[in-house]
Amino acid sequence: MTPREDALTQGWHHRHLLDVDMLSASDIDLVMRTAVEMKEILGRPIPKVPTLRGTQVTILFYEASTRTRVSFEVAAKNLSADVVNIAASSSSVTKGESLVDTIRTVEALGADMIVMRHARSGAPYLAAQVFSGHVLNGGDGWHAHPTQALLDLFTLRDRLPGGKVAGRKIVILGDILHSRVARSNIWTLTTMGADLWLCGPPTLLRGLERWAGALPSNRRLTVTTDLRAALRGAHAVMALRLQQERMAGGLLPSLREYSLRYGLTATTLRWARADALVMHPGPMNEGVEIGPEIAAFERSVVTDQVANGVAVRMALLYLIAGSGPIEGGETHG
Amino acid sequence: MAETPRPGERVERFEVEDAWLVDPVNGLEGRGSLRVEGGRIVTVEWAGEPSGGAAAHEPPRTEPRPERPTVIVAPAFVDLHVHLRQPGREDAETVATGLAAAAHGGFGTVCAMANTTPAIDSTGLVEAVQELARASGSPVRLFTYGATSAGRAGQTLSQMGEMADAGAIGFSDDGSPVADASLFRNALAYAGALGRMLVEHPEDPALTKGAEANEGLVATILGLKGWPAAGEESAVARDLAILADVVASYPASAAPHLHLTHLSTAGSIDLVRRAKAAGLPVTCDVTPHHLALHEGWVAGDRRFAWEAADALWVGGRADAAPYDQSTRVNPPLRTPADALALWSGLRDGTVDAIVTDHAPHTQVDKLVEYGDAANGISGIETACSLVLAGVEAGLLPLRDAIRALTLGPRRVLGSVVATGRRGASESLVPGLVEGAAANLVVIDTADGWDVTPETLRSKGKNSPLLGRRLRGRVLATLVDGRFAYAELGGVEAALAAAAG
Repeated sequence: MTPREDALTQGWHHRHLLDVDMLSASDIDLVMRTAVEMKEILGRPIPKVPTLRGTQVTILFYEASTRTRVSFEVAAKNLSADVVNIAASSSSVTKGESLVDTIRTVEALGADMIVMRHARSGAPYLAAQVFSGHVLNGGDGWHAHPTQALLDLFTLRDRLPGGKVAGRKIVILGDILHSRVARSNIWTLTTMGADLWLCGPPTLLRGLERWAGALPSNRRLTVTTDLRAALRGAHAVMALRLQQERMAGGLLPSLREYSLRYGLTATTLRWARADALVMHPGPMNEGVEIGPEIAAFERSVVTDQVANGVAVRMALLYLIAGSGPIEGGETHG
Repeated sequence: MAETPRPGERVERFEVEDAWLVDPVNGLEGRGSLRVEGGRIVTVEWAGEPSGGAAAHEPPRTEPRPERPTVIVAPAFVDLHVHLRQPGREDAETVATGLAAAAHGGFGTVCAMANTTPAIDSTGLVEAVQELARASGSPVRLFTYGATSAGRAGQTLSQMGEMADAGAIGFSDDGSPVADASLFRNALAYAGALGRMLVEHPEDPALTKGAEANEGLVATILGLKGWPAAGEESAVARDLAILADVVASYPASAAPHLHLTHLSTAGSIDLVRRAKAAGLPVTCDVTPHHLALHEGWVAGDRRFAWEAADALWVGGRADAAPYDQSTRVNPPLRTPADALALWSGLRDGTVDAIVTDHAPHTQVDKLVEYGDAANGISGIETACSLVLAGVEAGLLPLRDAIRALTLGPRRVLGSVVATGRRGASESLVPGLVEGAAANLVVIDTADGWDVTPETLRSKGKNSPLLGRRLRGRVLATLVDGRFAYAELGGVEAALAAAAG
């Protein structure tokens, strides 16, 4: 990076990225501005800078993932970091090694930063407790997916008219209850002033109205089972992946019924604004939560989300690596 | 400075001058002095007229609390619910370390649950645990429950009659509910005919499968799988309906006694309140952690329930990091409003006892992902401090708090302890009267103590209070005229400070 760009890390005080609930609006702005710089680098013939040369980034994924894992890997390599990939399914984890022991081992092997995905909510906090470097949460249980929410925000600012989310009606549609993407987007989008709606069948919205009711009045969050009301006048709609196991758990009668009532299709999308954007964190079940005809249409920004993901993750790796010596005051930020 | 006596050493001479004496047996409290010689209370001098005679369950007083000395003397506490992990998990706790922890917490009597490995479901195991208590040298009395079902497997009745003969004071599959309603009904009647209570852990497993934290605001924000209040309340309602059925349909000599343990929600307290009003033979208890802590602790909020009730944590930064595994407990920490309802149950007598549900665990079982961490709090040493914090906050008169730690649980045990192998039921909770064997706890409320891995006598260091300084320090626990725990220098210093 150039000295001018180095100035960007000033004002960044987070040793880890465990959740977005710790990020202020100005933190988020800093991530967005840095990601713009990174996107510019990605546009160069050779999209590579030496910023993280000599930094070892270990990507430790306890759950299957393609886009997040590869996106982090590409982002780290673009910054010239050394990348170590560990898939838990082919590691000592299958021999019963505890998370704490795995983290200590990864540290002993020279990791400076760990990007972690885990099926248990809160697991990255445990990693951060024992690791002396930096932890980036690549998704934990139902809890948080910070980089996804930040790349979603980046994409919205990029594509919404006027480049602003404040005051825009944005809808997250589907299995909110089990979604870390939804939880992180609740924080970032309400922090940035969006009029956020959550919509889905009642069994997948349990507890969320209580949350909406407890938020301070400057955060706008509405919870509804009424798809039409949710979509009316919406500027953007994010459909979430519906997992097959929700049927086995008795939460839904069938995929077919879900797609008829809550699928985002060319028909239901007519309830939203004519220029409404369509988003999806992937991987998509086309024909279930999103109709194939709109998954790929011109207002779908799904591939933008993927491309922006690299820039946003470069920005976060850069900011966090540059957050300097460990600050005593920050134990969980 | 006086020498610190060994646990088990006979109390030749022990004096507390100008303390606040609380005698729940005779309903008295007031300023006074007390002297023990040769293991017995030889003099009790009340300075002036002790207040008393009042019903134990009175509404909280609104007038300012009377000025009282900072050292409290009361009967040693009785804990109806502890896990001592022996046999099977001696790495987490042993009978000996558990009794040492109990004494440090002010408890002179503890009742050990049967969910050891193997479960205590036969006479041999009941006797083995009692033998371990004798061998420990601790004067703290240990009573044992037998499992309700064979192997705690929830399929068939355990050897209840034989275990009762061997000294089991009641039956419980605690750790799990007796999920099979039919087996539960039979167990209640069968234990009743043996004169034993059934201690039930109310939980509907279908509603709590995989649960990680109370289903509420905190679990929603943290993405933890919820343990709904209804998962407890539907079980309490079922248990009470079955109790009524046993009362109505079985021989009168079956005389069932249902004791619902670690109730954690406002709805559960309401159900028991109504059942008691209807005359059902039910008693219940609550824990200090459900009284003083709340679901916000899972998110890192470190305020007591009564401090958090008006300003809930709704995300973002808290006092500590979230997902602290020491806050994982079953039933989970509930809302501040639930905690306040438990205090109200203590005030009106719906709740009979405060129990610790002391649940020591190793770091191996705790320092893992939140949802994989073992359930339970090592709580017997912090119980007194947490309860007194609530008293300090005006939630319960001191005498009712002491009562819930002494006479309340003593009455739940009923006459059964008289037939136990270790006998001596009369002295379990004696009044502060001359001639009684010394069964006392001395507490300094002026000074605090630091909860650290070193100060906890239990092997279980799994306390969310680690690193915190708590008011209410146990200075001495005397059981049957013997020292169970004593910090004599502390007693002298506290009395001197109070006098100065």
